[in-house]
Amino acid sequence: MYDNRASESAVTADDIKIEAKRVNVHYGTTHAIKDVDVSILDKTVTAFIGPSGCGKSTFLRCINRMNDTIDVARVTGDIRIDGEDINDARVDPVQLRAKVGMVFQKPNPFPKSIYDNVAYGPKIHGLAKNKGDLDDIVERALRRGAIWDEVKDRLHAPGTGLSGGQQQRLCIARAVATEPEVLLMDEPCSALDPIATGQVEELIDELRRDYSVVIVTHSMQQAARVSQKTAFFHLGNLIEYGDTDEIFTNPKDPKTESYITGRIG
Amino acid sequence: MTDATQIPSSGAARPAGKSIITTDDRTKKRNAAEKRFRMYGIAAILAGIACLVVLLGSILLNGVTAFQQTFIQVPVYLNPEAVDPNGNRDPEEMGSATTFTYKPIVVDAMAALVEERGIETEIDPGDMDALFSAAAVAQVRDRVLANPELVGETVTFNILASSRVDGYLKDRVTRDSVARDKNIDAGHLDIVDELRAEGDVVKRFNWDFIFGADASESRPEQAGMGVAMLGSFFMMLVVLGLSLPIGVAASIYLEEFAPQNRLTDIIEVNISNLAAVPSIVFGILGLAVFIQFMEFPQSAPLVGGLVLTLMTLPTIIISTRAALKSVPPSIRDAALGVGASKMQAVFHHVLPLAMPGILTGTIIGLAQALGETAPLLLIGMVGYIATNYPDGVASGFLDPNSAMPAQIYEWAKRADPAYYERAWGGIIILLVFLFAMNAIAILLRRKFERRW
Repeated sequence: MYDNRASESAVTADDIKIEAKRVNVHYGTTHAIKDVDVSILDKTVTAFIGPSGCGKSTFLRCINRMNDTIDVARVTGDIRIDGEDINDARVDPVQLRAKVGMVFQKPNPFPKSIYDNVAYGPKIHGLAKNKGDLDDIVERALRRGAIWDEVKDRLHAPGTGLSGGQQQRLCIARAVATEPEVLLMDEPCSALDPIATGQVEELIDELRRDYSVVIVTHSMQQAARVSQKTAFFHLGNLIEYGDTDEIFTNPKDPKTESYITGRIG
Repeated sequence: MTDATQIPSSGAARPAGKSIITTDDRTKKRNAAEKRFRMYGIAAILAGIACLVVLLGSILLNGVTAFQQTFIQVPVYLNPEAVDPNGNRDPEEMGSATTFTYKPIVVDAMAALVEERGIETEIDPGDMDALFSAAAVAQVRDRVLANPELVGETVTFNILASSRVDGYLKDRVTRDSVARDKNIDAGHLDIVDELRAEGDVVKRFNWDFIFGADASESRPEQAGMGVAMLGSFFMMLVVLGLSLPIGVAASIYLEEFAPQNRLTDIIEVNISNLAAVPSIVFGILGLAVFIQFMEFPQSAPLVGGLVLTLMTLPTIIISTRAALKSVPPSIRDAALGVGASKMQAVFHHVLPLAMPGILTGTIIGLAQALGETAPLLLIGMVGYIATNYPDGVASGFLDPNSAMPAQIYEWAKRADPAYYERAWGGIIILLVFLFAMNAIAILLRRKFERRW
């Protein structure tokens, strides 16, 4: 299933987009992430896999500082995007989040029109000078979200009236509308049926051309299908990180092997 | 997973007679308990409905007569010698004639009417004043001063009947009770009966009860709710203007921005406690702080509004926080995820979704404040004070006034039984306002209901 990706992996640029060193996260007294070091490449899909509660989503939320919104969460360590420390006191998380888009587990369109859903980000970041500009941005984002053809005739219908898969693609379109450089996806397909999952996966593969995509997934098949790099988390530790093909065919750590063969998790 | 789990084989034979067609004792008992519980529920609801019906029924039965008032149509000869002795029709000079001057004119007119209808009575013509209200004299005088050209003519007035006559037509006053009453004699009632047959005494809808001012203890027939209604209105303006912005701002801060620590915990507990503080405590606080310390005017709707604001704030804060809490966190995540600041996320996405809950809570809080009496007693918004319409907005806030529930309380404690009917009538007006506010709350909630 994943052997045909070997050739595509070669296209991957080798420059490092995100570099994390000795990242620790505490939720109150729980030590959720323990000394994680990882380098995430540009124009690559990186999958985080691991059993529930292993910290992969927590780590993902460190990258755009969404953990700031949780009072009890404490993040230490060094995360750099393009060499800039995102936890620097001078960094405004708002600017960071414009650069690092996020798609959530459950499709969460705003209870507004499809157009307003996509236009919201560009509006608050001042990306459009006028209505025409904004229309262009919205169309481009919806095309990139592979949902333009389905919604172009009803841009002003509520986004919440779409099907689950369409809603998730709308959320992806919303995320790319602010022209991010990194796209974080937290189990984007867990609420979708296999057909919608297939569409979103295709889309992720498309997005790889422009963005560094990080995806958290519970499905090892999905990780194998869409990613070039895979990181395996277990109990807050990063156990193994490497090329997806390597991880799935020839894991170095016995824990990884146990997980991908279905013995732990 | 690897070692096959040992499933205990049910070696024993299936117990005999375990058919699902026949219900066993255990199931029967369970079903009976369920049925009993359902009956308790229905009984409780029926009891509640019965109470409500009795309550509303007694209010309507006792109060609806207050909306009707008895009037006497009487032609009055406006004797120029009495009302305008100087004969120059100058309203300013005519103003020197007091109601003492006018009273004999109306009494004479009444006696003339009785004579004209050919009613035989042993009542002295000079005692005809028992038939009409003292307000009727002022009514005639006001009309004359407003239209001096009427002097010297005979004008038909619709004057207020006295409260005894009104009570007689409403079966409150009977010939038995009149025997012990020195204000009116059975002879007067005979006159009323005859005039009624002639169509001179009529009962009709009394707008003055809804829009009029309060009257003195001896003139229940003249008393109305209008000025107290304005008092309530100005109070509600103060309450809405202060408690909505303060309450919503406080809730947004506490719910969305404040850190979770000991201090915010204490604040939270105290807000819940404040909601349970008896309203009279807020009244005495208002008396001490607003009137004695800050020296705001006594009995003013402004002070009443401030006190009720203190009382309404916890209600609004609690309901607003509940409304904010009910907005799914995924909406906040979505907004933050596209790079909205915390404030943008709250004001663009969370607040619009919480709006129906906030509005409902606010209106319920206002309705509560509208019906509140106890604190108003302490700041002096009760008594014979709702007598004049405010001259303008400033005087509406600052001049002594009452409020609807305080006016009802005031009427209920007055001695004249005619005020009893008016107290019930006042309750009907108050309830109409409360129903209207609740209806608005429901409509707003429907209108702003989250459209996902």
